[in-house]
Amino acid sequence: MYRFPEGLYVDVRIEETYETKISFKKTALQQQKVRSNKGAFIRVFDGDRWYYSSITDISRVQESIDILAGMARPNPDINNHPIVKEFEVNTGTVLNFSERSVTDIPVEEKQALLEGYLHLLDRPEVVHHTSYYVDNKTIKSIYSSKGTAVTFDKQTCGIRLSLDMACGDKKDKGTVSKAAIYFDELKNLCGFFSEQVEKNIQFVREAEPVEPGIYPVLMGPEATGVFTHESFGHKSESDFMVGDETMKAEWALGKTIGQDLLTIIDDGTVSGNGYTPFDDEGTRGKKTYIIKNGKLTGRLHSTATSAALEEPLTGNARAVSFEFEPIVRMTTTYIEKGDRPLKDIIAEMDKGIFIDTVKHGSGMSTFTIAPARAYKIENGKITKPVKVSVVTGNVFETLAEVDAVSEEFELLSFVGGGCGKMEQFPLPVGFGGPYTRVKRLSVQ
Amino acid sequence: MDKEFITIRQKETAVKVQNTRINAVRTKDIVKKGVRVYKDGKIGISGAVGDLPDDVLIENAVKNLSTNIEYPYKLSGDRKDHRCYNENPMTGEDLLKYSEDILAVLRRDYPEFDFSESISTTEVQWNMKNTAGLDLEYRDAIIYLGLILKEKKSANLFDGFLMYFGRSLDMDKFWAFNRDYLAAYNNSVPLPEGDVLPVFTFQFNELLGFLANCLNGERYAVGSSIFSGKLNEQLFNDKIVLKQNMDPIYTAEPFFDMEGTVLENDSYTLIDKGRLTGVFTDKRSADMYNLPHTGAASGGYDDMPMLQGAPLRFDVDSEDIKKALGGRPALLVAVSSGGDFTADGSFAAPVQVGFLFDGERINGKVPEFTMSSHLNKMLGEDYIGTFENKHLYLGEGLTLQGFNMKITK
Repeated sequence: MYRFPEGLYVDVRIEETYETKISFKKTALQQQKVRSNKGAFIRVFDGDRWYYSSITDISRVQESIDILAGMARPNPDINNHPIVKEFEVNTGTVLNFSERSVTDIPVEEKQALLEGYLHLLDRPEVVHHTSYYVDNKTIKSIYSSKGTAVTFDKQTCGIRLSLDMACGDKKDKGTVSKAAIYFDELKNLCGFFSEQVEKNIQFVREAEPVEPGIYPVLMGPEATGVFTHESFGHKSESDFMVGDETMKAEWALGKTIGQDLLTIIDDGTVSGNGYTPFDDEGTRGKKTYIIKNGKLTGRLHSTATSAALEEPLTGNARAVSFEFEPIVRMTTTYIEKGDRPLKDIIAEMDKGIFIDTVKHGSGMSTFTIAPARAYKIENGKITKPVKVSVVTGNVFETLAEVDAVSEEFELLSFVGGGCGKMEQFPLPVGFGGPYTRVKRLSVQ
Repeated sequence: MDKEFITIRQKETAVKVQNTRINAVRTKDIVKKGVRVYKDGKIGISGAVGDLPDDVLIENAVKNLSTNIEYPYKLSGDRKDHRCYNENPMTGEDLLKYSEDILAVLRRDYPEFDFSESISTTEVQWNMKNTAGLDLEYRDAIIYLGLILKEKKSANLFDGFLMYFGRSLDMDKFWAFNRDYLAAYNNSVPLPEGDVLPVFTFQFNELLGFLANCLNGERYAVGSSIFSGKLNEQLFNDKIVLKQNMDPIYTAEPFFDMEGTVLENDSYTLIDKGRLTGVFTDKRSADMYNLPHTGAASGGYDDMPMLQGAPLRFDVDSEDIKKALGGRPALLVAVSSGGDFTADGSFAAPVQVGFLFDGERINGKVPEFTMSSHLNKMLGEDYIGTFENKHLYLGEGLTLQGFNMKITK
């Protein structure tokens, strides 16, 4: 298909995206947009340096390969370079969404679906609202000079209702959303949306400022997902570890960093936003145990980090779009479910904070979670809503403080947004898990 | 039928850095085009990545008219304004040379640190034209240096950043500042005594984001902003002037909004001497809620123009940080990630990297801490001022802003 120059490793990733975005402000249609775009990312490696090019004119792929090759220094032994040797060679086509494709649903039907939920927002406390239907189907093809030739697709869709609420002087914003793979899964959700809207209104009406301090914190699946992603997920991205002896020692495989009940998994084969049947280097998606029964057992890798750290490939080289190179990113990352009923975990808490939903999180040495809805736990019961700016903990200590995980379990995807890592944002990822309790976190 | 064309061209060369060495060079050549058509008070949109012919895009936009989305507003027109903010972009070859030089110095003089991520030069050109005589062009070229700094003895993911953002890079100034900055990393000092300390920031995104929510004209009008009903009231310290500021010098974005509006002096005052004097609007919200139009339409190149956020900027209102501090030790926030405001204005944020600061120089790295306050106090009695950044070579147009904040160790 392409002429790959001698003495160089080359790969080409072509992305075709189909997207729909429909929005209403209150009941007035604001936008109905359907787009189909194409772009390509080309990489050339001479054993010393990579050369990348991102283009929107697909007819210029060969020209781009040749230009990049002209910048590189051919290396007759390139195929024995540790990175090049590490590349999986995969061929084939995995098109899971040819049937029930969002591209086959008329845009009018998508608009009608969203419009059908707007009456749920007709509440005096909801003074304004903006509502969205979005979908995305992407078909990627990856070709390499080692012989990889794969084509695969992924698909997501979702509805997000953004609420501006006011109850007298009490004002806040809230979001209610549902992500799915197939359009049909977004039907018949009045009960779900209604319940979530009610919870948001109740929160605005009744929430009081939290008394800052150190609390035991119970996190719902959404908060558990953000906690896992921010407190530990980024630590498992091994590009941060290449050439860093201190981090390698601190995070040595086999080290115990949590209790037996703690198992953390990254799985690119799970349906949802993190679904990655092949990563953006053509490596097949995999299920990776990062922590198993409290012990560090794995890390997430691109081909380059896998070769550098001499650990197995995991299929985690992902790019946010055709404009960027693949770097090590999470797919769907979660704490495995436990065996304790949620009600038992709550019942044994005299005092604490329950985080139900989350606005955002971050993860450096201190990880943060900014709750959207949080509640007090008093005498074994979830009681009053509380306004919390931020919950923080130290990444080196907090995993050891996880002392309960529930048998109730849910995997989730955000509608819009995603994970940010330096210039590449937002990357769709899956997250979630059980209800998870941490013994001590700082609540402000 | 009126037609409107938005074209964005972006060319970039980026040097990717790992372990203080260049490991990749990336080039981008991206074209994005959006077309809008206006007919009988309705709007239709289309767009594409790539240089698609205009007639294809017009045809798609005409089809989109069937959505019957109303747009009964007068098109911006009869204006030609072409501006270039950098006639001498750094070339890809120069970028490579500068990058090699910087990394060689870092490897030689700072072996205790590891640096990674990227240094780039990006040329952008935005054109917005329509059949009502609008012809706007914004050209610019930006150098962005964003290197993650990692102390080799630390097990953190990263411990800070070296950064620069601007149109030219003065290496003497770059090293004069960054040698002090890196020396401070090697000089750990305790937090000063006291529960409330002066804290200075140079990129307070949480504050600007919270204010953008409060000053959104739509949210103001429907009553969901905490500023609703307070137009012309004194809200904050009488030094404070906050503007919707579209000047590309500061934003590196077009001087026009997504409806082709160009503001006089590229700005619109929203808070004047602490008094709320306006909220930002696009054409639709200005018309719907009978508010002054401030040219704040946003959206992607192929989106319907709509009101979301607006670039806000505090005017410099104070001159001398050292004098303002009167000898008190202050803290400079270098990295603060994950903090937020509650809906009623309470604020808390961890500061992952902070320095002891005397108003001119940074004098040592302090341990992590949490800062907290409330909007009304931060911009009221605890507001120290907004200062021109004369001493920290971090980028063009950055200001330093000081507040007395509650500090928790």
